[in-house]
Order: sequence, then structure tokens, then C-alpha cells
Amino acid sequence: MGLATFLTRTRGSADKANRIGAADILAYGYLALGVLIILVPVLWTFASSVKPERAVDSFDTRLLPMSQIERPVEGVGNKTSWIYIDEAGTTQEVFKAGPTRRETDVATFDNPTDVFTVPRTGLEPNEEVRIATENYLDPILKRNGQDNFTFFTYLFNSVFVTVMATAITLLINAMAAFALSKYRFRGRLTFTILIIATLLIPSSIILVSLFFVVWSFGIFGSLWGVIIPAAATPTGVFLLRQYMLTIPDELLEAARMDAASEWRIFWRIVMPLSLPALSVLAILSVIWRWNDFLWPLIVLISDPSAHTLQIGLTTFSGEFDSDFHYILAMTVVSLIPITLVFVWLQRFITTGIATTGLK
Amino acid sequence: MSIAGLASLIIGILWIGGGTLWLLSRRTYGVKQIPGFAMDLIGFPVELSQSVFGRKGVPYALLMPNMVIFGFFTFAPMILNFYVSFTGGSSINLFDRPWIGSANYSAIFQCESYFDPRTCSNQGFSFWRGMGNTLMFVLIQVPILCAAALATALVVNKNLVGRGFWRAMFFYPVMLSPVVIANIWNWVLHRKGILNEGLGQASDAMTALSGMAGFDMVATILFAVLLLVSSERALRASVDPSLPWAALFGVLFLAVFTWASPLAMIGFQAAPSFWLGAVLVGGLLWFVSTAHPRASWAITGFSIVAVILLLTIQFDAVFDFGRFRPINWLVQPNTGWPFFWLIFVFTWSHMGFYMLILLAGLQAIPADLYEAAKMDATKPARAFYRITLPLVMPTLVVVLVLSLIRSFQIFDEVWLLTGGGPGRETFMIVQHIYETAFTGDRPAYGEAAAGSVLMAIVIAVFTFFQLFITRRQSEL
Repeated sequence: MGLATFLTRTRGSADKANRIGAADILAYGYLALGVLIILVPVLWTFASSVKPERAVDSFDTRLLPMSQIERPVEGVGNKTSWIYIDEAGTTQEVFKAGPTRRETDVATFDNPTDVFTVPRTGLEPNEEVRIATENYLDPILKRNGQDNFTFFTYLFNSVFVTVMATAITLLINAMAAFALSKYRFRGRLTFTILIIATLLIPSSIILVSLFFVVWSFGIFGSLWGVIIPAAATPTGVFLLRQYMLTIPDELLEAARMDAASEWRIFWRIVMPLSLPALSVLAILSVIWRWNDFLWPLIVLISDPSAHTLQIGLTTFSGEFDSDFHYILAMTVVSLIPITLVFVWLQRFITTGIATTGLK
Repeated sequence: MSIAGLASLIIGILWIGGGTLWLLSRRTYGVKQIPGFAMDLIGFPVELSQSVFGRKGVPYALLMPNMVIFGFFTFAPMILNFYVSFTGGSSINLFDRPWIGSANYSAIFQCESYFDPRTCSNQGFSFWRGMGNTLMFVLIQVPILCAAALATALVVNKNLVGRGFWRAMFFYPVMLSPVVIANIWNWVLHRKGILNEGLGQASDAMTALSGMAGFDMVATILFAVLLLVSSERALRASVDPSLPWAALFGVLFLAVFTWASPLAMIGFQAAPSFWLGAVLVGGLLWFVSTAHPRASWAITGFSIVAVILLLTIQFDAVFDFGRFRPINWLVQPNTGWPFFWLIFVFTWSHMGFYMLILLAGLQAIPADLYEAAKMDATKPARAFYRITLPLVMPTLVVVLVLSLIRSFQIFDEVWLLTGGGPGRETFMIVQHIYETAFTGDRPAYGEAAAGSVLMAIVIAVFTFFQLFITRRQSEL
């Protein structure tokens, strides 16, 4: 019994430690199930994306990327390799010399002219594990007629939108938050209420008229049409305002004594001090802008050179409904940057959003 | 060049040229101070307003860019929406749009019977179908999402090994873009995809197993042992029955009850038996969690019933699934599966965010409350109802409102997974607005705007209703 107690003891000091009970088992079971449901589809997509076209098209459900070996045959070209197992159990590597029938004509690679007939049931595909890098490289390098997915254009557009929008958001939200948290002026309450109100206006109900506004500004169809309307976020203003309220006023007074201008105070004192809140907002903004879908779809759909990665991937999946191997590979490609950011910053993101962020 | 381009060019020249002259006339910059000069140049209007109006002018200058963007791209469209909804035609020029009064609204409300969207005009049909589907989606989605988020937050808040890892894992799908999510799930849910393959293999294996001799007896004994062990462990707890074991017992009881299907004897199908069993188990768990004095009796009674029912089950018939037919999860009409998977995928991709907010709420609850409850030997379930739930309620209200507004706007996942199909089973209101305004040959902006105004009204009513019934707990 001593061993069982030792093995089932949970963390903690001796007097606080409890044995693992049914509640813990249920908790771990729930977590394991949840993580399985979250990870298995993603990992399965990744595993499928490195399979060769033939395996993807035939919905091969084996985990490893198996592909049939091809070898050159003199005067014929490349032929797929099969293993023939005769009744005695001896195996022979052959290729099909004719159409597949119940009795199929085959020949060995060493002696291609010596055709003999074997039953179809004795033939098995000769497979090897091969990572199908062409799924990734064809669309990216525009080989094999895959010139519709201009990956680097999409990537540049996505990065441009994300970086510009995040930079503008950080700057103007911080300015607004600084004004609302560190100055007493007429209309402060009005401005605060106006910003709260925008928090409650869902973006999809102003879709049509936002289109009119963006059109009349002349930025419809360009990346700025995506960047500017989303640059001012009520969430960001509130998050930063709450944080800036904790900065002591004495610091600002001391700087004013030294005849620093208000802009310099903002730039040299307030911005560096609110770096934690700024980085949470930066992460949120990157997630929002990178994953944005409906508004970019409306603004950018007509001009393929202005597509972001999300829009490009959508049209690509729509055009090539059968080319699953390319679609899967490109899905993985657009999933990788955000996954790397996540793995790198995950602790920071989860604690940051948990303490400050509301969507 | 457009007027906007010209205007921005002039502003740019004034800003950079004027700002440089103004700054250089007042301050001296060394070579090393070029970055500082660039920042001063960006903030030049703020500096200018300080020198003209004094410190009083500064907050207005600071608020200016944010409020200008809000004004043009949030408030102006909000008001413009009403105007556009009263105009017709397909012109993009606002001054070129004829005023047609409330024709757009009357097209939506033109129905023979308000209980059946099929009797409406085309526009009305599309709108009401989208609205009905969205309402159904929201009413199913929001409770499931919030319950899942709360349950996960509670579990992750426990003192477990690898807490950070679990939290991060549940948050991961929030980072993924809708296109990626849709492609992943399309691949998994394909007719020949991994889900159907796995289900098919499992069902074939079960069918083969149930065909073996003695399967019925072995399964009966196995279930009897499981039932007895779980009920015994539940009853063995020192004072009152233990809730986790009772929950396990409840799950087993529900399975046995469904398979034995006592309601089939009086001519029902299996489904009502399941729901009756679920209600019974819910009652049992309620008894146990509130430490009702008769809870032990209830468990004993339930286990006797379970054992009797167990003897009537033909396990080889229960587990004989026959030949497995793959289901086209996202395409098969009149099965409810597309709708189910939408809810599933939406929960999958959004739960992590609300979980984190709820987790923050849970961690703000002072630990000494639980210490005190422990001193008084309070049952964990009672501590949940009396401490955790009331104190996390403000956060829960925020999560409810946010997820309601978010679920109402569902578009990306539907558009990419099912496209609103099969038929119009998953056609949502935002898709109606999007298709009316942006995809047709003759864009009907007025009708789309009318739809958005009505949608805004419905969302506002829902939000205020929700805030009203939870007004005592609300933080908003």
C-alpha cells in the first residue's frame, strides 16, 4: 500500500498533499480529450500535406506519407514498381507491362522484355516513405502550372497589413489612452462614452455603409482600405487607459518641471512605461489583422495582386477543389507563422489576455 | 488622382515640410538625434497645439486621430446605414441613389404567413431564413460555448501538472484563421476523411466483436462490475456520496438505461429513453451535489434498477452496427449534421478565448473563501454554487454578452465550410447581407442595409435583455 500511496500522491508539501481521486482522473481525462480534439485535426492536416498527390487523392488514411516507387525502364519511361508474391512466398519486383486484368502482364526491371503473366491478387504496390515536398514547392515556386497562388505577394500583403495596422493601432490608441487617463479636460466623459459605444457596435452591421465610406475615400481595393478602418480599436484604448492610470502623475510633473513638451512626455515616459500593455495589444492586433476575413474579402477580392494570404487561400481552395494536396500544403504554410508566434510567446499571450484583454 | 489622394498629399507636404521648419526653428538637433527628430515630427500637430492653445489643447490633439477614424469608419457608417436602407438602385455614388422610402423594409416584411419564410418575397425569404437560422444558432451556440468555456476554465484552474501547457493548448485554435480552420475541418469531415474512416473501423471492429460467442455474457458481467464498483465508491465516501464517482455511475446508468430502453415496452423508440435517462441522472447528480440526506438511498435504488435493466440487454444486438455507411457530414441535407458541425467548429475555435477571460475571473476569487469553506467541511459542489458561481458571475455576464454578439455575426466559418448549404440549412444573416450587397450582378445595397438595420435591432434587443436579466451581476 505504501507504493500505491507514493505513486498517486499529488504535488504539495506532505501535510497538504492529497491522493489522486476520481476528480483528478476526470479532470485529466477531460483535458486529454480536449487536447486530442484540438490537436488531432491540425496534426492530421499536417501529416496529409506531405503525402504525394496519389495518396491524397485516394484518401490514404495511413499516418506516414507512403508513395509508390517509380523506376525508369529502357524505352518506356518511368514505371511504378510492384511487388509480386507467388504462391511459394518468394517476392519479385516487377512493373506492369499491360493493362491491369485478372491475369496481368508484368516484367522485371532487370529484364524488361521478358513479359510474363501473374494473377492480379499477387501484386502489391512497392512503397517507400517519401516526404512530398512538391506539394509545398510547386505553388510557392510556380512549378507544374501552379502560377495562380502567388504566395509571396499574398505573404507580403498580409505582413504589410498586419504590421502597418498594428503600428498605427498602437500609436493612435496609446495617444487616445494617454489623453483619457492623464488629462482633465472638458468632454472627457463624452469621449469615453463614445469609445464604449463603439465596443458595442458589431462590425458586420455597418458592412454596407462602411463600404460606401471607404469607396468615397478612394481607398477601396487597396490595402489601406483594410488597414485604416480597423486601426482605431475601442479594446486597445481601454486596455491602455487602464494601464496608464497606474503610472504616477509625479513622473509627468517632474518632466514638465524640466520643460519637456507634452509630446515628449508621451513618447519618452509614458510609452516605455506602458510596454507590457502595449505588447498585449500588439499581439491581439496581430491576431486580428492576420486572421481578418470578411472585410478584406469585400475590399480586396477584385484585385488578385492585393489579396492577403487568407483571401488568396480561399480563392485557391475554391478554384482547385480537387487539388487537395496543394490546398493542404498551403493551409499548413499559412498556419505556420501564427503557430510559431504562439509557441514562442504562448505563456505571455495567455497570461496577458487573461489579465487585460477583452475582444 | 482622386480627391482623397490629393488631400493626403497636401497634408503630407504640410506636415513634413512645415513640421521640419517649425521644429528646426525652435530646437537644435544633433546627428544622433535623428530618430528623436522623426518622433517629434510625427507628433508635430500635438506640439503645435501645445504652443498655440497651451496644455489645454493637447488632449484634443492626442484624441484626434483615433476619434477621426471612429467617426468616419464607425459612427458615420452607423448613421449612413439608415440612409442607405431607404434608398434603392445599385449605384455606389451616394448622391446618385434614389430615395424609395421604406420599400426595402416592406420587401422584407412582405409575407403571407409570418411563421413560414417560404411564403415571403425573395428578399424576405432570404432575410428570414438567415435570421431564423442565426437565432437558432445563437440560442444553441451561446449556452454550449459558455458552459464549455466555464468547465474548461474550472478544470484548468485546478492545481494540475502542466497547467500552462493545458491552457496554451485550449487557446491555440483562437490563433488560427477561419480559412485554415475551415480547410482543416473540411479535410477531416470529408466523406472519405479520417473521421468516417475511424468511425467505420471502430464500428466494424465492434460488430465483429459482438458476433463472437459469449460476448453478451462478458459484456453483462463487465458492466455489472463497473456499475457496482462506481456505486460502491460513491457510497463509501465518509459522510455523503462522492460526486465524481456518482457522475461516473450516472454515465454508466445512462448507457444501460438507453440500451435497455424501458420505454420501448410501451411502444416508444430508443431516443425518449435516452432523454428520460438523462433527466433521471441529472436528478440523481443534483441530489448528490446538494448532499441531500436521501442521496445514498437514491444511488442504491438506481443501482438496483440498473442491474435489473442490465439483465434485459442483448449486448450482441446493441453493438451490432451492421455495415458502416460513410456520412457526408457537411453536405447531406435534412440530417442536421452540417449545423451540428458548425456549432462544433465554432466552439472549437472560439472557446479558448472565453476560457481565458473566465480563468481571470476565477483567479480573482480570494483563496481564503475556499479555505473557510473547507474548514466548515463544505461539499465541493456546494462551494461551487455558493462561492465560485456568484463570484464569477460578473465575468460570466461579460462572456455571455461578448459571445452573443460574436455568434450573431458568424460568417467566415459558414461561408468556408458549408457555403450556407445544404439548401439553406446553414444560411446565416451576415451571409444574406454579404450576398445581397456584394456578390450579385446587380448589388442591392439598400436591401442589404435594411437587413443590417434589422439585425442591429435584434442584437440590441438580445444584449439588453441579457443585461436586464443579469443586471445585478453585471459589470458592463
